[in-house]
Amino acid sequence: MSHLHIPDGVLPLWLWASGWVAALAIVYLAGKFSERADVRRKVPLLAVVSALMLIAMSSEIVPIAYHINLTIVGGVLLGPALSVIAAFIAEVVLAMLGHGGVTVLGLNTLIIATEMVVGGALFRLVVRLIGRRHVGWSAAVTTVLTLALTTTMMVGIVAIGGGAAAASRQHGALDPSTLKFENPFKAGVFSSGLFRGGEGGATAPSGAGSSSSSSSGTPASQTLSIRRFAIVVYTLGPIGWIIEALVTAGILGYVARVRPSLIWEGALAVAEHRIPDHETGLHP
Amino acid sequence: MNLGVIDTSATSGSSWLHRLSPRTKLVAFALILAAVVTTWNILIVATLVVLVSAAVLSARLRGRLAFGLAAYPGLFALIFAFASAPDVMTGAVIVLKAVTAALAAVTVVLTTPYPQVFAPVQRIVPTVVGDALLMTYRATFLLLEKFSNLLRSMRLRAGIAGVHPVHSARTTTRALGGLLLYSFDLSQRDYDIMRLRGYAGRLQAELPRSASPAIDAAVIAFAVLLLGVSVLWRVAWQTLNPFSWLPLAGASVVLIVSLVARWRTS
Repeated sequence: MSHLHIPDGVLPLWLWASGWVAALAIVYLAGKFSERADVRRKVPLLAVVSALMLIAMSSEIVPIAYHINLTIVGGVLLGPALSVIAAFIAEVVLAMLGHGGVTVLGLNTLIIATEMVVGGALFRLVVRLIGRRHVGWSAAVTTVLTLALTTTMMVGIVAIGGGAAAASRQHGALDPSTLKFENPFKAGVFSSGLFRGGEGGATAPSGAGSSSSSSSGTPASQTLSIRRFAIVVYTLGPIGWIIEALVTAGILGYVARVRPSLIWEGALAVAEHRIPDHETGLHP
Repeated sequence: MNLGVIDTSATSGSSWLHRLSPRTKLVAFALILAAVVTTWNILIVATLVVLVSAAVLSARLRGRLAFGLAAYPGLFALIFAFASAPDVMTGAVIVLKAVTAALAAVTVVLTTPYPQVFAPVQRIVPTVVGDALLMTYRATFLLLEKFSNLLRSMRLRAGIAGVHPVHSARTTTRALGGLLLYSFDLSQRDYDIMRLRGYAGRLQAELPRSASPAIDAAVIAFAVLLLGVSVLWRVAWQTLNPFSWLPLAGASVVLIVSLVARWRTS
């Protein structure tokens, strides 16, 4: 529910590039950390959990345009390091299927990884507080709190990058009121925001909204409305949080009844099936 | 998500796009993405989407699948645009950008087998990340098939019925729980197989060479040209804005030619 469904090119370059750098750094660190032991077990495990998240994220609940994430489930089962990698894998594949945008992939990885890591940790904390008999409730509370956190992260990211960005970005587009192309780049090429995404610096064209300028000289009526965006997200978001909480509670509750070791000991603690040496190709 | 159809299109097609080197397609995609990111001129974005559509049509890809996949992010972009755009024009550009970038990505995925799309990523990330990325696709196939069979059997046994939404939701959630357990068994089986086959880290994904380097070079050159147009219209707006219709007119001609060619060969 909470990852950025923001198209490519809406957020400024510095923001999404920073997201890419940060995401690659934590994925690299998580990868190197995970490679220390038992890679053969981790690779297929990561693949199936990423596939599950992928299936969930790409299955839209028609007609309300929601989808579940299963990130908390993944976070509980995988632990922090593998969660970061699973978040990256799911986002990379989704981006190539046109879902989510390639430029915001780094930011999305950070958000989903946060959701999984915080969700996993919070679930264990809530279970410790209210007991192992209430796995479903623990999962539901954890999911709502975690999704509220990551949704706030998403709004924060849009606020950081999008608030003033639209004003000069829309320069060069057809003005629907006059059916003319405005020429607003009076401050030159670099201050037109080509390399900065257009945020700040550029003076907006005269016209509607110019009377209500913000402190950066950008007309308030021409910027992305963070307030409106936040209102829409915090109005529609809780419906998604509740859907996700119900699904997460149902799944983790089921797993706690059927195979509790997966939750309490983690997916990597599954009893190993020993393969006889002659089947592995080893000879004494 | 119909992964089977996507995979069939990627592996069984023989169009000019399928014959391009995966590297060429990925570079061209990156250039088109850069063009989408750079411009905020709605007619330039429209030019890009028309040209990518022409590529889809000329390669005889399934139009409903390609445009349907590209429309999905458009839906979310519409919500974002509604929630934050200051006016209709900015909102329209936001939606069009989403659809254009998604259509370009989908075109690559529909004409390139999955391992070849992600092989370049696999080479630069740690082993566990790269290998899991390649294995995810196979796992997605298996889990999708299993989940669909599970849902069908539940429907047949009246576990899922429209008149009992709460009961149906509970059953579906349990099916997801069952799928989760199945997926862990699957990962255990994969682990056993990998041990038996002597996996020691790093799966090999080959990137085939181009069948016709000249066409590859032409595609890259055209993508560079598109990025150039996008940058030019952003930088030299004072001179060029009144002529923004020109690239779109050219792209429209290309689209019509593609449509005619597709119609004549069908």
